[in-house]
Amino acid sequence: MRALDYRTRSRITAWVLGALTLAFLAYQWLPIFTLGVLSFAGPTGGTTFPMNGTSFHWYQELWRATVMNDFKPPLLRSTLLALACSATTVVLSVMAAQAMRGQFRGHGWFFYLLLLGIMAPGILVGFGFAIMMRLLGVELSWDTTTFLTHVSWTLPFGFLTMLAIFNRFDKKLEEAALTLGASRIVAFRRVTFPLILPGVIGAGLFGFSLSYDEFPRSMFTTGPDMTLPLAVMAQLDRQLTPEIYAVGTATTFFSLFAVTMCTFAFWAMRRQVQGRNS
Amino acid sequence: MSTIRVRSPASYWLAVPAAVWMLGVVVVPIVLLVWVSLWSGRAFSPASPLTFDNYAKFFANPTYIKLIGSTVVHTATLMAVTGVLGYCIAYFLVVKVRSPRWRLVLFLAFIVPFWTSTLIRAIAWVPFLGVNGVINQTLMFVGVTQSPIEAFLYSRAGITMAQVSLYTMLAAGPVVYMLNSIPPQLREAAMTLKAAPFTVFRRIIFPLTLPGVVIGQVLVFLNVMSDFATVATIGGNKHALLSNLVMLFYESSQIRGASVVAVMLMLCMLVGVVVALRVVDIRRLGA
Repeated sequence: MRALDYRTRSRITAWVLGALTLAFLAYQWLPIFTLGVLSFAGPTGGTTFPMNGTSFHWYQELWRATVMNDFKPPLLRSTLLALACSATTVVLSVMAAQAMRGQFRGHGWFFYLLLLGIMAPGILVGFGFAIMMRLLGVELSWDTTTFLTHVSWTLPFGFLTMLAIFNRFDKKLEEAALTLGASRIVAFRRVTFPLILPGVIGAGLFGFSLSYDEFPRSMFTTGPDMTLPLAVMAQLDRQLTPEIYAVGTATTFFSLFAVTMCTFAFWAMRRQVQGRNS
Repeated sequence: MSTIRVRSPASYWLAVPAAVWMLGVVVVPIVLLVWVSLWSGRAFSPASPLTFDNYAKFFANPTYIKLIGSTVVHTATLMAVTGVLGYCIAYFLVVKVRSPRWRLVLFLAFIVPFWTSTLIRAIAWVPFLGVNGVINQTLMFVGVTQSPIEAFLYSRAGITMAQVSLYTMLAAGPVVYMLNSIPPQLREAAMTLKAAPFTVFRRIIFPLTLPGVVIGQVLVFLNVMSDFATVATIGGNKHALLSNLVMLFYESSQIRGASVVAVMLMLCMLVGVVVALRVVDIRRLGA
């Protein structure tokens, strides 16, 4: 058999890998699309095909819900919790990343401590924290104990985002401001902060979406008033109906909307900076 | 000169809130689990004397030992599948796609689901896997089988299928990062010196991306080991891994039993991470 030349072989590799990638993308997205399609099933539709017509029945059910399967209060709780986590993550991760630049004694340990927050699985953190609260006699609640555990999960992601931004950031601009007599605080507020703003938005997005979707940490620390993922899981344990698909589709859209808004903000900011330079 | 002075007290104080938060919510509770797993008796009281009885009870049950084995096998399967798949996808996206616009589009299509709920994505697999699910309907329509196959929902295969779609991103992400940081001149130099393309990959590209591969594998390992939600959603109550056992004990208020399993889970993870750190030095990533 004649050996193929390098260029043909390289092209074949590209085609094979490309086909594999596209197949995986289909594999990854098909269930999500199916969930979306099935959420519009008719009133007699089951949890799989055939759909028995199309309707907004399950979304209406969602809206008219009774006490048992009412997703509105959990949705409100999850949103408020995610906003609080997002704000806390932004403030703490900017502080922590700024501290890392100061290379204080033990900053290596500090880095590993935050990395541990990503490595430590939610089931261990949630369970351990629930036991600690029980030992301390603290009542579990979505707005106190759950908030504490969620931030321990979102903060490391925000921190790594801020570190990455500070690594690429042009220190000369800061130096110029300080040489021209700005105080450290003014220089941070007027020069450093606008430059790291894309990272701040990224950290905020991580804070919001990771908290909004978090399940294992909430599982152990939430008490009687459930967050949205807990309510979905509880409903799944009771009965699988297209209503769960409707909730899933709605929250997925919500998440995608948040990501799109942040991407757009990035893009707009970059354009603004480029416009100023040219 | 910068807005923060090196080794100033200010830098120290800025780090305190985050450090206290992480210590109080992550480190202390996990250490607490080890302590609780050693309590004797039945009451929930810190005054309980310490024994290894709970561990003895755990190891006396062959079902639990087998569960550790099947958890490790399941996790290893997923690491292998997502590792190979993730590397191929990362290599294609970074090296083979020439047009920056297409690269961005494919990359976004690949990572966007990471920002949506893992739980919802696991639930999305349920209509696919059932006896009347999409996969069975397709198979019967094409004519591969006459009667539906019951092997998908409530089975290890179904759990694996869903988890592959959930975690391949974690395996590929760090590889994308490492591939991006390889200067193209390296490849050109090797090609100029008449190295065969596969030799270039084997001797230059792969070793340079190895830290990314290992980090990705660690992420998949940790996530699959602790993912009780997907197993519960798709496996029903017919299948369990070690992390589901923690839930099972917890829900029946057996705090000691749950802590023992949690500590076993933690030990498995520690062993995995230590092995990974022996292969690559994680600190070199930041440089």
